[in-house]
This record gives sequence, structure tokens and C-alpha cells, in this order.
Amino acid sequence: MIRVDMSKCTGCRRCETVCAFFHTGKVSNRLARIKVVNLYESGIDGPVVCAQCKERYCMDCPVNALTIGSGGQIIYSPTGCVLCGTCETQCPIGAIEVFNECVYVCDLCGGRPKCVEACTEGAITYDPDGDMSLESLEKAEKMNPDQKRHNYVRKQGEELRKTWRGERA
Amino acid sequence: MPNYGYGGRILRIDLAEQNVRTEKLHSSWVKPVVGGRAANTKRLFEEIDPDCDPLGPDNVLIFGVGPLTGSLLPASAYYTVTAKSPLTGILGDSAAGGQFAAEMKLTGFDQIIMTGAADNLVYVMVTDQGADMVECPHYAGKTIVETTESIRKDRNDYSIQVAAVGPAGEKCVLYATIVSSGNRVNGRTGMGAVMGSKKVKAVAVRGSLPVEVKDPLVFLSEVKKVEKTIQNHPEYKKRYHMGTTMLMQDLNNIGILPTNHFQKGVCKYIDEISGERLAALYKVKNKACFNCNLHCSRYYICGDTEAEGPEFETLCSFTSRIGNYDLEFALEMNWYLNQMGLDSISTGEVIGWLIECQERGLICPEEVDGLRITWGDKDAIRDTVKKIVFREGIGDTLANGATKVSKQFNEKAQHLVMQVKGLDIICGDPRGIKAYGLTYAVSSRGADHLRAEPYFELTNRKQEAVRRFGTEKAADRLSEEGKAALVVYSEKIALLCDSITMCKNIGLCMDVLNFENCSALLTAGTGIAYTPEYLKKIMEDSVDLQHNLNKRFGLQREDDTLPERFIKEPLPEGLTKGSTVDITRMVEEYYKIHRWE
Repeated sequence: MIRVDMSKCTGCRRCETVCAFFHTGKVSNRLARIKVVNLYESGIDGPVVCAQCKERYCMDCPVNALTIGSGGQIIYSPTGCVLCGTCETQCPIGAIEVFNECVYVCDLCGGRPKCVEACTEGAITYDPDGDMSLESLEKAEKMNPDQKRHNYVRKQGEELRKTWRGERA
Repeated sequence: MPNYGYGGRILRIDLAEQNVRTEKLHSSWVKPVVGGRAANTKRLFEEIDPDCDPLGPDNVLIFGVGPLTGSLLPASAYYTVTAKSPLTGILGDSAAGGQFAAEMKLTGFDQIIMTGAADNLVYVMVTDQGADMVECPHYAGKTIVETTESIRKDRNDYSIQVAAVGPAGEKCVLYATIVSSGNRVNGRTGMGAVMGSKKVKAVAVRGSLPVEVKDPLVFLSEVKKVEKTIQNHPEYKKRYHMGTTMLMQDLNNIGILPTNHFQKGVCKYIDEISGERLAALYKVKNKACFNCNLHCSRYYICGDTEAEGPEFETLCSFTSRIGNYDLEFALEMNWYLNQMGLDSISTGEVIGWLIECQERGLICPEEVDGLRITWGDKDAIRDTVKKIVFREGIGDTLANGATKVSKQFNEKAQHLVMQVKGLDIICGDPRGIKAYGLTYAVSSRGADHLRAEPYFELTNRKQEAVRRFGTEKAADRLSEEGKAALVVYSEKIALLCDSITMCKNIGLCMDVLNFENCSALLTAGTGIAYTPEYLKKIMEDSVDLQHNLNKRFGLQREDDTLPERFIKEPLPEGLTKGSTVDITRMVEEYYKIHRWE
């Protein structure tokens, strides 16, 4: 899985940029499988990417267009997909999203994630054996992926802000 | 219409008629100006009535990005806002980084051109499809962050980027700013006042059209070289740690840190207000503009105040320049000015000027609504700035900027305004950095360093100076020799940075961008064949165009000068002691190289 340490993130979005570029040859946050949230009211920045969660909410896919690869990554089959949006709705953190008739989710770049290489700050690291649970999060099915990412980063950032305040008190 | 790099379209918004029109961007129009600031200047030249009221509906407000904005190129995060300046009456523009430009690029519009004025307060929502004007009377008086978050929340989309004006822009304070990404400022020449006069609270952007380059592999290899140059730069660590605030110590060490309104160049309490102290006590993390690997910005928390920055100019403007040794006060003011949308340099000047004039008995409190103000008087400064933002009492006068205000007083007081062409001078005493002095004097937007940013003269690279400018004196900060050549070269690179677009701190100060790598990047990026020679020529032409536009606005050669203080009064102490600027000589050489007149 790709681990995120938000305390090191500067919000530069290099992860997002290289992700889009190396998958599509183009640059746009919509084409990226890792997306950065910049919170201007609190100074928090953080990328959101598939956590390869234990729960595997996205596997509710009714047509089995998603499978799990040997690295734990999600493998997407565009030919099987009917664009129903179930995966997008089910993911609690907005890490999988339908855009322009295609599903965007982290594929680990075949085991050498480009976002990790691009991050000069060590905010993103690759941990082949790691996993995590998202069970404690609210399901938030009514939110769009953008709102879910925002919510997730904001909540994660609360702890970080406490640390900042503590250090500066 | 260009197929790569550019969005290929421009968006015209008539705010009075609520009319939105999309036009094609023609390759033949854009090729000779590249994009960004140079393209904005050309647009203004073609479309502005030089006699128009800068705060009237006829002024043309242009947001522009360049062919490499939002691309894989590091620090390609800049956009420029251009209009006739209400502060100076000449060409006005200001660039900012952050995240706004990259998102604007994704809408597929290289320029957004606004004319007319709305009847009620609106924000303009720009997407791939065009623009909507949304009435927002309830946003009146909101800060930048409040406005940004309100728009994102109202539209359920937190990827929207917003460039907004604060209360100062709404009140048309002549040096009001536009602020995006919470704390990223189009600071100079009062672009916020122009936007406020058009009753536009914010421009919000959200696009989905990706940035595509012609030759991704060649482009990538050029980008890798640029990344490496940044990463291996001798100043990388220092800049990463402190950003531009490193200049507090650097400038003080050589005796040119503006202290008590340029009366001195050495500040005795420098350790209280330095970038080192800021980083040690208040910084909580680094911040970065879009796709930058330098991460030179910082987020800080100080009591109830938290914000990004401050940059050197704001820090100096609210410490040594106005005689304040309390760093926490400067951090409070950085937050306040950013959120209210006021230019810290011009605000610092109007305050510093007033303090010096009162100290010298040139202006008495009765003449300024009873305001008595002295060096570092925090309560009086805070109160005055607040009055400026809301144009209350004496603030309504001071909101017109030091140059205009000084006209009400005697000649001595007028000479004490540190300005050129009505724009307040930045923090860096030209008596110890002569190329900067020339830059302030000839800059096409008035006293400002960013038109050329001849940082080279501070880097002591003598051999390189001979190679590039014919004399090793070009690398001697105290010499006038070779400085015209240095400025003429640097102003082209500065313009190139603003036009492709890229951060000037990286492109120019860190000497990363040159005609060779830029032509390779542009050719691979746009598919339009750019050669170094051609780039050099069109940048020269674009500098000429700025010059000619300003002639239309009524500027004359006599306006290319410096305040008397820098020409006649030597600095009293430190490593620049005894120095003044021979500005006439440098301006003459500068004109000769440009073949003007």
C-alpha cells in the first residue's frame, strides 16, 4: 500500500502531476489516481490514494470489473465496467472515481509507484506488506468523491493541528 | 489554434451585460508573446483606452496563464493579472503562484478578459463551458479564506480554486490585492481595486481539460534537467528552510536592509526579526506552489494567528522598515493584510513615510485627523491599517497611496516618498545593489524588482559576469558598471518566466531558466518551433511593447529615476556606508542598449 504522512506534505501536488503524466501522458488532477487536498483555512495538505483497505468496499462492483492484484492493488477492467458508479459511492475516502467513462484508481504503477519517487518530502512511501482498515470511518455514501477526500483529510488533519498547537504553545 | 501546451481559447466576460463569449486563441497572435504576462500586455495594448478611468467600467482586467502553466515543469504555477493601474495610471500587473493557475489552465482558457462592471457583487465561476456570474451580496466583507471556503462549500467541490478580493478590494483601496490559494497574492499595482470596482468578489476556476504537450518524452527529459538544477542548487537548503525570509539577514549583513524608512541599512535588532527566528519559533511546515520541488513557502502558527508566509517583503515592510522589532506583530499583520487584500509593500511605505514625516515635523497630527504615529508603534499602526482597509477616517486618504497623499503636503514631504512612477519601492536599499536601483527606476510598472530581479549581482560570479556582460563589475553590487547589460538580460528572463509561466525565484534568482532550455521546453511543449535567438528577439520586442504602452499612458524618460534620497544621501553605516546611486549613467546606458529615443 501507499502510506501517507500528512505532517510532511507541502501541498505541491507533484504526486498528482506525475501520476497523471505517467498513466496518460497528460497532466490534470482529474486524470490522477492520487489526489491532493489543500485546506487553506488550516494549512493542512494531504494526498488521498487507495488505502488497499481490509474492507474492500469497492469490490461491491456488480459486474466484477474490479479485481485485486498480487500487490493488493485494484485492477480495473474497462471492458467489463458499466460505469454504474458503485465503487465510487462505496469508497469512504474518495480514492476511486469515475471520470470521462473510465474508473481512476491507484494501480501501484506495477510495484514502483511514480508518486513515491516524485515526493521529495517523504510524505508518501510504499509499503508492500502494509494494510489498513477504514471501518471506523462514516460511510458518507451521499457525498461526492471530492467531498469525501476533503472530509477525510480534514479529519486526519485535526490530530496534526493539535501537535502543531502543542509544539507552539 | 495551437494544439499543445495552450488551452487554445480565450474567455471574454462583459460584466455589465452579463455576456460571456469564447474566442479561439490564434497561433499567429500568441507565438510572438508566448503567453502569460507578455500576452496580457499585448492584449491590454490592443484593447485599453489609455485615457480610461482605471476604476471605471472601461478598464480591462485580464487573467492570463502560459503554455507551460500547470504542466510537468516545476513551479509552473503562475498567473498574471493585468489592467491599467489605479495606483500609478500606467501598465499594472502582478503575478502569483499557488494552485490557482494550474486549475485555470484546465478550463482551457489561456486568458480571461473582464470588461464593464456588475451592478451587484458577483463571483465569476469559470469552467470548461465558459463562465457564470453568481450574485453574492452575502460575501461582502468576507476575508479571502472565508470567500474561498464559501464558494467551495456552496458548490460541493473542494477542488475549485479561487482568486478573491478582500474588504480592501471591495472598497477600492488603490493598492488592494487579489489573493488566491488562501495566501497567494497578486500584490502590486492595485489589481484588487480594479476587480473591486467591477464588483467582482472572486474568480473561481474548475476545469477538466488536461495539459497536453507535443512531445512528452523530450519534455520529460528537459523537466528532469530543470528539477536536478533546482535540487542541486547551492542555495537549496537555505531557501527550503526560510524561503525569501533568508534575505533579512543577507541584506542586513551587507547594510541594505531598509530600516526606519530607508534612513539606515543596518538594523540593530535583526536577530529578533530574522528568517532564522521565524523558522525556529513559528514555522510548522513547508508549503509549496503547484508542482514545485523547492517548497520554499512556510505555514506558521503564532498565537491566534496562522497563515502561509510571510515572504521577505512583508516581513521587512512590517519590521525594520517601520521600526518594529516585534516579529509576532509582523506575523499578525501578514495574516491581516493577506485576508483583507492589501499590498504589504505599499502599506508599509505609506506608514513608514508618515512616521518619518512626523518625526521631521513635516506633517503634524492635526493635518492627518489627529493621528500621531512613531517608529514601531504597534497600536497606531494596527489601527491605521484597519482604517485604510475600510477607508475610514484618515484611512480614506491613506488608501490612495503615499505618492498621491503626499501631494497635499510640501515638497520635502513629497521627496520622502520612496516611489518611482507612483509605485512604492520594495525592501532593498538600491545604494548597495545598483542593478536593483536601475531596475526600480526603469521598471514598466514602477519601482519594483521583479521586472528584472538582477540577483546575479549578489552572487559574486566574476568570471560568469565577464562572459555574460563583458565586465566583472556586473557581479559587484556597489558598481554601476555593466548593470544596464545585466538588467536588460534579466528583464527578458523575468518576462520569459512570467510568460511560459514559471516562478521567477527559481527561474531567475536561482538562474535555472535561460533561452536555451526554455526554447527546448517550449518547442517540446507546444510543438511551435522556438529557437533561443527567436525567444530573445520576441522578449526584446515585448519589453519595447511595455515601453510603448506606457508612453501612451503618458510616461516620459524623466520618470525613469529614483527618489532623491538614493541619489544624494549616502548610507550612514555598515558595508554600504557612503554609497549613493549614479542613476543617470545607468539609465543612459540602459536606453542605449534598448535603442530607445
